[in-house]
Amino acid sequence: MVKASSSGLSSDLAGGADTIVARASPAGRGALALIRVSGTRTAECAAKVCQDLDFSGGWKVSLTTLRDAGGEDLDRGVVIAYPGPRSYTGEDMLEICVHGSPYLVDSVTKSFIAAGARPAEPGEFTRRAVANGKLDLVQAEAVADLIAADTAWQHRNAREQLAGALSEQFGRLRASFITALGAAEASLDYEAQGVVVDPPELAAKLEACREQIRSLVATASAGARIRDGLRVVILGEPNAGKSTLFNRLCGSERAIVSPRPGTTRDVIEAELEIGGVRMVLHDTAGLRAGGDEVEAEGHRRAEAAAAAADLTVFLWAADSDEEPEAPGIAHDLPVIRIRSKADLAPEGAAGDGWLRLSSSTGEGMAAFRAALLRRAEHEIVDLGGSVAIAERHRRALQVAQAELESCEADAPEKVAESLRWALRTIDHLVGGIADDDVLDEVFGAFCVGK
Amino acid sequence: MRHFDVVVVGAGHAGCEAAAAAARLGAAVAVVTLDRGTVAQMPCNPAIGGIGKGHLVAEIDALGGLQGWAADRAGIQFKTLNRSRGPAVWGPRAQCDKRRYQQVVRRVVGGLRGVTLVEAEVEGLLAEGARATGVIVRGGERIKARAVILTTGTFLGGVLHTGDERRPGGRLGERPSTALGESLSDLGLELRRFKTGTPPRLARGSIDFERLEVQPGDREPRPFSWRTAEVENRCVCWVTRTPPAVRTIIGDNVHRSPLLSGAIEGVGPRYCPSIEDKVVRFPHHERHTVFLEPEGLDTESIYVNGLSTSLPADVQEAVVRSVPGLEGAAFLRYGYAVEYDVVAPLQVGANLECLQVRGLYLAGQLLGTSGYEEAAALGLLAGINAAQDLRGLEPLIPAREDAYVGVLVDDVCGRDHREPYRMFTSRAEHRLLLGVDSARERLMEVGFRLGLVREAAFHVERERWSRRQRARTALENDHIRPDAETRARVREVAGVEISAPTTWAKILRRQDVDVDRVGAALEAFAGLGRDDCRVVIGLLRYDGYLARQEKERERVRRLRDIPIPADVDVASLPGVSREVAEALRRDRPPTLADAERLPGMTPAALAILAGRLARGGESR
Repeated sequence: MVKASSSGLSSDLAGGADTIVARASPAGRGALALIRVSGTRTAECAAKVCQDLDFSGGWKVSLTTLRDAGGEDLDRGVVIAYPGPRSYTGEDMLEICVHGSPYLVDSVTKSFIAAGARPAEPGEFTRRAVANGKLDLVQAEAVADLIAADTAWQHRNAREQLAGALSEQFGRLRASFITALGAAEASLDYEAQGVVVDPPELAAKLEACREQIRSLVATASAGARIRDGLRVVILGEPNAGKSTLFNRLCGSERAIVSPRPGTTRDVIEAELEIGGVRMVLHDTAGLRAGGDEVEAEGHRRAEAAAAAADLTVFLWAADSDEEPEAPGIAHDLPVIRIRSKADLAPEGAAGDGWLRLSSSTGEGMAAFRAALLRRAEHEIVDLGGSVAIAERHRRALQVAQAELESCEADAPEKVAESLRWALRTIDHLVGGIADDDVLDEVFGAFCVGK
Repeated sequence: MRHFDVVVVGAGHAGCEAAAAAARLGAAVAVVTLDRGTVAQMPCNPAIGGIGKGHLVAEIDALGGLQGWAADRAGIQFKTLNRSRGPAVWGPRAQCDKRRYQQVVRRVVGGLRGVTLVEAEVEGLLAEGARATGVIVRGGERIKARAVILTTGTFLGGVLHTGDERRPGGRLGERPSTALGESLSDLGLELRRFKTGTPPRLARGSIDFERLEVQPGDREPRPFSWRTAEVENRCVCWVTRTPPAVRTIIGDNVHRSPLLSGAIEGVGPRYCPSIEDKVVRFPHHERHTVFLEPEGLDTESIYVNGLSTSLPADVQEAVVRSVPGLEGAAFLRYGYAVEYDVVAPLQVGANLECLQVRGLYLAGQLLGTSGYEEAAALGLLAGINAAQDLRGLEPLIPAREDAYVGVLVDDVCGRDHREPYRMFTSRAEHRLLLGVDSARERLMEVGFRLGLVREAAFHVERERWSRRQRARTALENDHIRPDAETRARVREVAGVEISAPTTWAKILRRQDVDVDRVGAALEAFAGLGRDDCRVVIGLLRYDGYLARQEKERERVRRLRDIPIPADVDVASLPGVSREVAEALRRDRPPTLADAERLPGMTPAALAILAGRLARGGESR
């Protein structure tokens, strides 16, 4: 006996007439696989594929037999029925867990298609969740980020974003815009009622908006580092132990992508996860005054890599007495100074600000790793408890920022105009208003079944 | 039984505009009023115009309406609010001699060929099927008409409150119309309860003006109307402030306020709160501003703007007499609140005709607006549209992006507003394009084509716009070089140092340049009045913003050209949120531009809707 949920009518209005089906777990063979179905006619389709589903109450889990269009048994599976609107998409939904054979998944999917569903497009489930107001656009992006997360930091950032932390920040920004807009409008519309808004008061509110937007924009670089990885460049004279350290790190840490040659033979990169942080490690050619043309080129490239780095590691071999000349790096760049090859000078002191390390014995490796993480957390990705914004957010926020930075506080009708535009930008961002190309940008990253 | 083309019920600001417009467009009009003596009365504040409201008056005037013209004749103090801001938000206002205002309007409306004034109480509407055919008045007489315009203000189900005293009435001393309200309900119209209020009136001789700050009018008073050459200031107003003690006086008597005790269920306007409201909602404000405005040149009555209240008489006296200058104040009239029925929004089309009853037009406070200017604007449009319909011509439906009257009609008829509606400049998305200065440029041609504006006047104005345009072009195109002589001149005229070649337009865009000094000094402004100079410079300063708003206006206009046929199945669009789908089904927006303004509408959903329309609809 199949009963449609009472909210069937409203979900009819939401996602359109189509009921969609897709595999949600990765392609290939596995112990189990998950198939999702969503739409108005979920219950109706389900009636033809599986027995005894009930959409009338709350969520229900049933063990049921799935059949193909000809009525042949396919598998026994666990089916969870989510009556809308209390589902991921906000519509009536099913999650079907069957044995993980590609043939079986394909057959069950075909059964639903025969019963009236159609294959889902990439990201369509989440798109419907957005259309139905279950998620805003920023949260929808976090779904993609969460699935793509490789490291603890990426995961944490995506999880907070999905939970709405970033949406909340945009909401606060929006609220500040509205407060300032209110002051501007009051100063324009209420003169006759004796309401006086001091120009400094409006200027202060405007400045508060600017400050808030600046600090959000500033998290963009942290966002890029969390998502794309921190650029760590190892520098030092030839034979200081750079490649050994590089190889040691690649060998002991989780390599996200195995070492690969850089743009030249002389700079090699590897992507690693160290303590939950994604890092892109760069091994460079040794820095030495003089040398031939090839060395000079290597030198130049090492310095270019250092210039683009978030963090440099500078090596001075423990068995060398003369402190090497520091390379030409920007002064504000964090540096970890290391006396490498510590095993060759067991009695030597590291010196102030230097860390003893031996890639062959492992001495100092833990301290080095800790130093890397400390620098990463405190100096580079300092979010002040915030969530890092992504590139799309940065672009939108910068439009709003430019609008607010350029408007003159002494002409409230212009301030109001600028604030209205800035508000609109934020609305686009969160999806209160969303252009089609924005939707495409957001959902382009999704695959089928999300 | 008498026959007319149009019968107008009510002779307030809406009724008079409606009657005059319809008559001037050739209709035979009966105006039915309870009392001849209350035609065009100003029952609340003695002023016409202001910020947002002044915009409406300017547009009424450009379309050929009465209000601005009458205010010029009855005005005793003229002042443009927001004068220090840019031209988009200037708000012209005139304090008026109330009695003179009534005389002026009554004389012109009563003197129009085709207008008959009938003193009677309308008790019911006549309808055949779903079409209005006239009214029945007390005593049983039927006045037949092809169109009926209802402008009954606060009279439907009116109840007056002062303290716990309640009595039926539309205004103080005037009985309400109850039978008519029932007649509207019978026609299936949904009514809603609103509230408004008015402050006490004091005797001029009892006020100590010596101690009060004087508010003079503008040094160069400007008329509203293109039909008026000049106006003059003939009185001043005064300002004072409530002392902190008012908070205690009201705090001790809150339970006696019908507003705060819950005796009044109608929804009042937040933007025009009573003094008890202000004290309760803003406890940290020590003082509230009070303006004292004469109600005329030869009347004792002083209007106490800012002290609207429905507190009991003894509390009103205590509050007023605590205010500096008003210690010995004698009351001519106590403040009161009025609760009344309005026709709930969404039952009237953009031409102001009732959706359920053809030939029945509504305007003014009956539609849930507040203020003389909003009422007059709606009345003018109702009168024009009733007459246009009788002549078989297209209705006048101004768009939001073209006029404040368009914003007004769209908001009042198309949106579910829940409190008395008052115009503000912030309601206009294209505010910078809709300044008072451009009202004639935008609308006079419309008035002329309708037949409400004289052709010669239209051409005079047209010449003025082109002079402004020429001045602007000159400022943009005449390059000036930083030689010693020019630098000295720029320094002297504008107070600005130049070091590179530039144009006057660039110099004038600086917010700190004195507009009037430059206006008087520059060749480019020759032949333009001081106001026109200010407008030219003000618009220069809006430059980038104006370009953006113009672009936006073009976009909205393109959307407005795409109708949404009634048979399109808008409820089942894929990818459209539930909220939007329901709004589409409920409000049935006539064009894509209207659909865009539905709550929750997104560009994506709009694109989907446009796509559906482009594919020919898939009707249900």
